[in-house]
Amino acid sequence: MDKLNERVQEIVNTFKDRLVDLEQIQGIPVLYFKKENILEIAAYLHKTPSLRGTLSLQWAVDLNPVKPVHRIYYLFSLESGGDWLILAVDLMEKDRLFPSITPKIQAAKWYEREIRDMVGLIPVGHPDLRRLVRHEHWPKGTHVLKKDFPWNTVLERKEGTYSYRHIEGEGVFEVPVGPIHAGIIEPGHFRFSVAGEPIMQLEIRLFWKHRGIEKVFENLSLINGVSLAEKVSGDTSFGHSLCYCQAVESLLSVEVPPRAEYLRTLFLELERLHNHIGDVGAICNDAAYALALAHCSQMKEQIMQLLDRLAGHRFLRGVNRVGGVAVDLDSSQLDGILAELAKIEEVFKDLTEILFVNASLIDRLETTGVLKEQTARDYGVLGVAGRASNINRDVRRDHPFAAYRHLSLKVPLYQYGDVRARVRVRVDEIHESLSIIRQVCRQIPKGPASIEIFSSAPAGKWALSAVEGWRGEILYFVMAGENGGIHRCKVRDPSFVNWPVLQYAALGNIIPDFPLINKSFNLSYAGNDL
Amino acid sequence: MFRIIKKSLKKGLVTGQYPESVTPVPAVSDAARNKAKLFHRSLTIREVDTGSCNGCEMEMNALMNPMYDAERFGIHIAASPRHADALVVTGPVTFNMEKSLKDVYRSTPEPRLIFALGDCAIDCGMFKNSYAVTGPVEKHIPVDVKIPGCPPRPNEILAALLAVMDRRKKE
Repeated sequence: MDKLNERVQEIVNTFKDRLVDLEQIQGIPVLYFKKENILEIAAYLHKTPSLRGTLSLQWAVDLNPVKPVHRIYYLFSLESGGDWLILAVDLMEKDRLFPSITPKIQAAKWYEREIRDMVGLIPVGHPDLRRLVRHEHWPKGTHVLKKDFPWNTVLERKEGTYSYRHIEGEGVFEVPVGPIHAGIIEPGHFRFSVAGEPIMQLEIRLFWKHRGIEKVFENLSLINGVSLAEKVSGDTSFGHSLCYCQAVESLLSVEVPPRAEYLRTLFLELERLHNHIGDVGAICNDAAYALALAHCSQMKEQIMQLLDRLAGHRFLRGVNRVGGVAVDLDSSQLDGILAELAKIEEVFKDLTEILFVNASLIDRLETTGVLKEQTARDYGVLGVAGRASNINRDVRRDHPFAAYRHLSLKVPLYQYGDVRARVRVRVDEIHESLSIIRQVCRQIPKGPASIEIFSSAPAGKWALSAVEGWRGEILYFVMAGENGGIHRCKVRDPSFVNWPVLQYAALGNIIPDFPLINKSFNLSYAGNDL
Repeated sequence: MFRIIKKSLKKGLVTGQYPESVTPVPAVSDAARNKAKLFHRSLTIREVDTGSCNGCEMEMNALMNPMYDAERFGIHIAASPRHADALVVTGPVTFNMEKSLKDVYRSTPEPRLIFALGDCAIDCGMFKNSYAVTGPVEKHIPVDVKIPGCPPRPNEILAALLAVMDRRKKE
């Protein structure tokens, strides 16, 4: 086993007497504890000033039929340097209870409700045990990620009720919106409690689009899983497929050729670019500044047509595969990308110049939808929304993947956490992406763009992979099954982490500003609901 | 400000700057065409997502950008099904969205035209038989036109909508 880094060694020393087992997988230390100690240790990681650990992911794996065990994993990212550390707890045989860490760590709130719904383990001491994924009409005792639950079960529709939180008092009324709402948008239910104009409480109810992705993964082989990963969230097709491929490649101990790493970086940045440009336009449009939308949607369309010409798909589906990329670009195509982006950059620069001096627009964006740094930290908020609230995290810098270790990258950081800060982060990242694409086109090495796969992974081996998609950190945990299959694939889109904080950002704002705030986060419903 | 306006004027009209669709236009029944006839030269659409990956939504949004500018053909997006002539449904119908889809269908005034957009809406795509999916759109509500693709490109969607409206793109 490799030497543990100092900080982790210190943690191990502190809890030596309670540690059940310790292993290191892909360089990530995994510390096994008894369930009665987990709350204390998780709280220690989270609260100790020198560690300031953030819960990045919590998930459960049903190890049946191999072992009669349910294992719960807790992935922590430690402050500065972003070292990963995994805690694990085994629940033996019929044991279904585990202590909730939510009372100490807010970020675990949805994860634990999800575990209860999907695997049927009950977080004892959790403050909110309502169902999350399973809506009220699901039959009792349906826990779909248990190994004895057949994936093609036809669920029977039952009667049931869901209790919303209510505020009562004179002049307080509720405004329910959705699940089918607004213009062309995914379904979600928003329930505002207002007295007069300001929002006193917002309850967000999602998972309308739950398609059973994690269960469908278990039917696929490691190699074929890519096409499902592309459909987790359409706008991040490339980010998700890349993250999945990386996990499988490290499972199969495959080294991707350097050219493929550069091409992946290029495509990932192009995906970031068109989404960010589209978002800037859409946010301005929600503040009734249609000029920006017209220009931005035009630039976005230009990039998507470019992608279609390069890869044969506007969302880059079919480009990633385990072992590299299916599309290689020649030097004239790379020059073509640079020429197209130079044109876009020119227009975008002109546009941002007029955006940030437009008083009527900035007045709508400033101080709207403030997400406080403390709230963001407590919930482990990721990506654009995090960096607008002074959360200095970016996978591209903290855990470089693809070709990022060879490229220079600045991570924009803003403090105020309002809509304007989120727009600013996007604008800065657009310029940063353009710079990365130029570096890639300059430095890209020659060679093959993919390699054939001959290796296989033993059942039970797992790998974890992270990618900074345009929304934020995407995580995949893939555990190999029998005969090249998948035993468990945990997918975590950044939206799942960021959705719960939207209710805090909306507090005190007026309902007509909510679309603006929502757009400034622009979270995926599909990636969240899975 | 003036610089950007000047550039826009110099650039000229961008509408129509997209490659022509090369995939054949999906079959449109006479019944569907007759329904569309009632609305003459316009069609107001409510887009309903019943579990798509949001790729179809992005392409529907793209229809409204200056390049495709579907509004020039009288195609509008409505915020409420009660204001809609047609529903465009995307995604396999999930167990959680089934009831909402039926509610929306009932709220849409007759003779509502129903489009199933994308492979998932037509046959559930990769989610066929999943416990969380209750079948393609046509299992729950009658579908008039199917637009295949994963997701269909905006030019393909536009071509299909125009075929239903019996309008050809102006040269």
